[in-house]
Amino acid sequence: MNAIQTRALRRVFTAGRDKRGKSGSRTALDGVDLSIPPGEVHGLLGPNGAGKTTLCKILSTVLVPTSGSASVMGHDVVTGLAAVRPLVGCVFGGDRGLYGRLSGRKNLAYWAALYGVPRRLIDGRTTTLLDRFGLAGRADERVETYSRGMKQRLHLARGLVHNPPVLLLDEPTTGMDPVSAMDFRRLIGELRNEGRTVLVTTHDMAEAEAVCDRVTLVNDGRILHSASPQELSALVSRYGRVEARNVPDTLTQRVRILPGVTRVATDTDGVTRIELASADAAPPVLRLLIERGVTDLATCRPGLEEVYLHLIADRGMEVGR
Amino acid sequence: MSSPLACPARPQALEVLRRAGAVALADLAVTYTWRTWLFGRVPRKLSQVAFFALIGRVVGGEDAERFLVVGNALMACAVETTLVVASSAWERALGTMPLLVSAPAPLAWAFAVRSAQWIISGTGASLVALLLLGPLFGADWQLEMIPVMVLLVVLTAVGTYCFGLALGAWVIDHPAQRNVVSLLANLLMMTICGVQVALDHWPAPVQTLAALLPITHELVALRELLDGAPLSAILPDAAAGALVGAAWLAIAVVAFGRVGERGRRDGTIEFGA
Ligand SMILES: Nc1ncnc2c1ncn2[C@@H]1O[C@H](COP(=O)(O)OP(=O)(O)OP(=O)(O)O)[C@@H](O)[C@H]1O
Ligand SMILES: [Mg+2]
Repeated sequence: MNAIQTRALRRVFTAGRDKRGKSGSRTALDGVDLSIPPGEVHGLLGPNGAGKTTLCKILSTVLVPTSGSASVMGHDVVTGLAAVRPLVGCVFGGDRGLYGRLSGRKNLAYWAALYGVPRRLIDGRTTTLLDRFGLAGRADERVETYSRGMKQRLHLARGLVHNPPVLLLDEPTTGMDPVSAMDFRRLIGELRNEGRTVLVTTHDMAEAEAVCDRVTLVNDGRILHSASPQELSALVSRYGRVEARNVPDTLTQRVRILPGVTRVATDTDGVTRIELASADAAPPVLRLLIERGVTDLATCRPGLEEVYLHLIADRGMEVGR
Repeated sequence: MSSPLACPARPQALEVLRRAGAVALADLAVTYTWRTWLFGRVPRKLSQVAFFALIGRVVGGEDAERFLVVGNALMACAVETTLVVASSAWERALGTMPLLVSAPAPLAWAFAVRSAQWIISGTGASLVALLLLGPLFGADWQLEMIPVMVLLVVLTAVGTYCFGLALGAWVIDHPAQRNVVSLLANLLMMTICGVQVALDHWPAPVQTLAALLPITHELVALRELLDGAPLSAILPDAAAGALVGAAWLAIAVVAFGRVGERGRRDGTIEFGA
């Protein structure tokens, strides 16, 4: 049995307002099939609006699917509500969702009670978690006096207060400084060692590569690709890019016909972007540019959006074949 | 498969209510300090009560001023507990809604006492008004009446709180209406529940409507107490008020259940940004 399983999962938001202020209906998830075995740390990677949060909401029972199904540890998120809720811990990025006027300790104790942690365990559990997340020194101060990062750590502690086997982390590191982000990576490792299943969403490919056993790329409500972090980094280097300034038009024409060059475009501020389909396409391009006196140039690792564009393009070709 | 990590225990209502009470107390501590309550909030309430009592003195004489001082002093706590309408909506602003909905405990448990601070401050305000202003406007309490008076004020505070809680469940989905709703609720209670105008001045349908609001019954009981009626006459009215309050609590519980369900369907349970 999978810890998380979705089948043809769809969610359509009808009418009225959405995040971009447009009206009409919008398909946030469009037939998502996802299987995550117990104990896996699974990354959900996708641009804004891809549907990551929507999937987390459905799995945390805060949103019902329009069609299709989703289950956690074999319990359906719609029909098995009471069984699912205690199994899932959710942490959503940012620092909202805490009672600012209560201490960190009282916040945790309250959530423990809401999750049915037996009364005799609550005090010990909260103290342990406050220690684990480095909040022991401030445990009895009001949360509104915490820094943003401290609040995020408190959220992570809150997500673990009922010792759930499945954790949903929706962009848990937004706004964290690099040191905290490193701590976060270590935390994910610990959660894996404890046998928990973790679904973590992010925009950050490097983060996904670092912490996940498997990564699923989503775009526009659909799964584009599921890969191991190794495959992901291979993808990334495959879709490298060269950027250069002051490339004469004639040279642009010559670059365009080099092997492995997929696209060449010059924007209004004079930067020419040369996109490559393989890692070994870069040296000939660089050599040609330098020979012709272009010195203002750099190779770039593609951003997430670019990897998507490539993946979408590739998939389009496969379908056409 | 049963995972050793699973925590299958059921949430315990008392434990949840107790911990949610901490939220209420923390809010109370921020809203009022002893000083601001005693020297800020209470004098304002007292001046409102005295204002109506003085009108009574000028217009209707002794009976009228006594009627108005008792009615408005008890109303003081209803005005305070109606703040639950607004403070229930705070939960949305805090961004805790999705977390509350995804927790196993029913949403109503979290809301039932999270605004209970108003019961405390409302009870205090009414008692001060009854004991301090009452005697100045012809309500001469005997010492032995005071325990029953306290009971009636507490029942009023709790009953009107439950009424407000039901309204709060509606307002949480219509946050823009929160001030209008509490204003209307207060106006309604002040007008038809025997606060400013005796109940029997109203036609029967209005009296029936008034009977659906807890303060109506507690106010009848309080006036009986002041007139020296025996406990056997007072308690049935007090109990009727408590019963109506309990009915509103039941409505509130169902309504909060609906809030969760509707939100899950509409996708309006936001984490907020
Ligand atoms: N409550 C809602 N009502 C209407 N549309 C919604 C709602 N929630 C999400 N959407 C739409 O569904 C799509 C997916 O949104 P979602 O929040 O799941 O994306 P995301 O991948 O989490 O994006 P981000 O990286 O910005 O957090 C978006 O187009 C969004 O506008
Ligand atoms: Mg999101």
